[in-house]
Amino acid sequence: MIELNELTAAAQKAFPADNLSPARDASWELVAEMGWLMIRLPEDDGGLGLDREASTAIHYEMGRVLATTPLIPAQLGLQAVIESQTLADRADWLERLSAGEYAPLHMLPAKVDIAADGTVSGTIGGVFDGDMAVAVVAKLPIGYALIPTDADGVELVERPIWDLSRRMFDLVLTGYKPDPALMLSDADGATAMHDALGPEAHLALAADCLGGASAALDMTVEYMKMRKQFERPIAMFQALKHRAADMKTKIVVAEALLWSRARDEQATRTQIAGAKALASDVFQFVTEEMIQLHGGIGLTEEHPCHLFMKRAMLNLQLCGSLDSLNETVGREALAAMA
Amino acid sequence: MTDNADLEALRSEVRSFLEAEKPHGWRDASRTQEDFVNTQRDWFAKLVKAGYAIPHWPKEYPGGGRSLAEQKVIYEELAKADCPRLLLSFVSTYHAFATLHECASEEQKAKYMPRILEGETWCQGFSEPGAGSDLAALKCKAVREVRDGKEVYVVNGQKVWSTMAQFADMCLLLVRTSSEGVKQAGITYLLMDMKTPGVSVSPIHQIQGDEEFAEIFFDNVEIPVEQRVGEEGEGWAVAQATLASERGLTLMELGYRMRGALGRVAELIRTHGHQEDRGILRDFGALVSEVDAVCAIADQFLDNRINGVERIGDASIVKNAYSRALRAYSKLGVRLGGMDEQYIAPITFGDLNTGNWMADFMNSYAWTIAGGSEEVQRNIIAERMLEMPREPKSWVL
Repeated sequence: MIELNELTAAAQKAFPADNLSPARDASWELVAEMGWLMIRLPEDDGGLGLDREASTAIHYEMGRVLATTPLIPAQLGLQAVIESQTLADRADWLERLSAGEYAPLHMLPAKVDIAADGTVSGTIGGVFDGDMAVAVVAKLPIGYALIPTDADGVELVERPIWDLSRRMFDLVLTGYKPDPALMLSDADGATAMHDALGPEAHLALAADCLGGASAALDMTVEYMKMRKQFERPIAMFQALKHRAADMKTKIVVAEALLWSRARDEQATRTQIAGAKALASDVFQFVTEEMIQLHGGIGLTEEHPCHLFMKRAMLNLQLCGSLDSLNETVGREALAAMA
Repeated sequence: MTDNADLEALRSEVRSFLEAEKPHGWRDASRTQEDFVNTQRDWFAKLVKAGYAIPHWPKEYPGGGRSLAEQKVIYEELAKADCPRLLLSFVSTYHAFATLHECASEEQKAKYMPRILEGETWCQGFSEPGAGSDLAALKCKAVREVRDGKEVYVVNGQKVWSTMAQFADMCLLLVRTSSEGVKQAGITYLLMDMKTPGVSVSPIHQIQGDEEFAEIFFDNVEIPVEQRVGEEGEGWAVAQATLASERGLTLMELGYRMRGALGRVAELIRTHGHQEDRGILRDFGALVSEVDAVCAIADQFLDNRINGVERIGDASIVKNAYSRALRAYSKLGVRLGGMDEQYIAPITFGDLNTGNWMADFMNSYAWTIAGGSEEVQRNIIAERMLEMPREPKSWVL
């Protein structure tokens, strides 16, 4: 069994804090080498077989360096294959994906229609790094499907985003004919698949947010101690240091919720969704403060503040917006307190 | 070391006790301060008898000698069962106990500790009108004199924000015996009987109608020298023992209680027909997660203490997180209740989550101001955790 602190130490060594947004392709190779692509793959299937706490720890460290490599969609895509009861060549796919082929789960909603002849047209949103994907794990009205990116009627269209640390594509389907051998679930099984993947996505994103928030705070504190105005470091002013204290408090509290959910096997989907909502809200807050507390330099492209803020703003939208997740948590809590 | 099976055994033991003995309807029985105090005294006596009132005391006292992990189990169960919090006896079982246990003479311990278990209550005479966040600036003056052949401190001055001093038998008192040197150096620590001539107490009327705190006035109050704890001028060090007495259980308990009380917000949402109001559901959902997070950080804080890995500033984070969540909770209640909340309704003494939303909202300020204000906690977090420089000590107008 790999200890959590060993995993964290290895991640910090592989992805040091002073190298923000390290090059994607080299990172991907490194991630594959470290075995992280198979972190949640059961040992029987040749993976590391680690638990949610371990993957959460890795995503936290990847968030800290604003990782460019799409480990979260890759892990989720692989998990869809693991969960699948219907995929014909499941073992083959597991092997290919563990070895470094990339089949991401899309992180934004799919808007597609099924024609009378069974072909699919429309857009699958939120495909990270589509240029390196061999296939996309997509939620279609007929169930979850692996859609090969080189199939007929399939096109990847890059959608430039403000977040410079990641690349996003739409998977555009025009009369695409789903391959029955590549179905990961049928329509009935899609709910179970969605319920299995949702908490994994939310834990991973929450970890990404809080890793990013904690790195943003570290940089801000360091800057405030170094930057002098009125013959003293600006960190000495209570009006400013109190804001840093609030950033710290929000981060630590959201982290406590994240870890308690990651460790709790009884945690419900909605409770985990609440942890993502809180974490993404905190990441946004911290990066807003980061820019303000850096002053003018925080507005420049040469300083990394904007990279954190842009990533935070995108994270708010992935796998459920802050509003929709909070609404879900509220609705469910209300029902439970009847 | 206590293992999990032992803890679970304790948990079910506490549960059976609570099922049989927990007070019902205590909120309704706490509509006046007098009734509240009586409820508190009864419940404390029951807990003492059952062995759950002083789990943090040493094992020579009945019900003492519990590990922090065991204390956590007891407090969790008390909170989940929605029992009254032990407010009236809080200063005596925590602050007075810690002071006596760590700093007092054997005579003082033998005299006062058993009396606490019999229900004697203490208050704290620390803060003054001019010494709040800056406690060491206190001015309440004590002069050592011989009167009627006995050595006494003659005390003159005023204390403020003394929790339930109007019901207290004894007082943990900080006085200034010297103004030489740094301000911390001239402070002396005394144990005072509240019935001593020259002591007068006046309750503070809070904005929500409660009277949880009082002012204490000292007019030539003679306190025997034997009532001093530690040496003269070394009271500041003793006061640190008093202030460090609370081990984080209170905030965990309060967090759990607030989580239990989220049902009151749910009730409001239904009463006012907001079940399908998406904006309100969002705000409620955000609050639910925030309160869950407060419980998680309070839990983690205690676990770190149990494992000996607590860091400076951790307690400040828990306190600020709890007090902000309490503000958000009560404010949402006021908002959802609408105009209903603007008509005065009876308050419940000694509870933070009563469902009288305006009262709860106003009461939540006690948590951002008392016990080291939110701003003092922010200084601790910034200066001790984030290692930011302190402000210069002196300034010139």
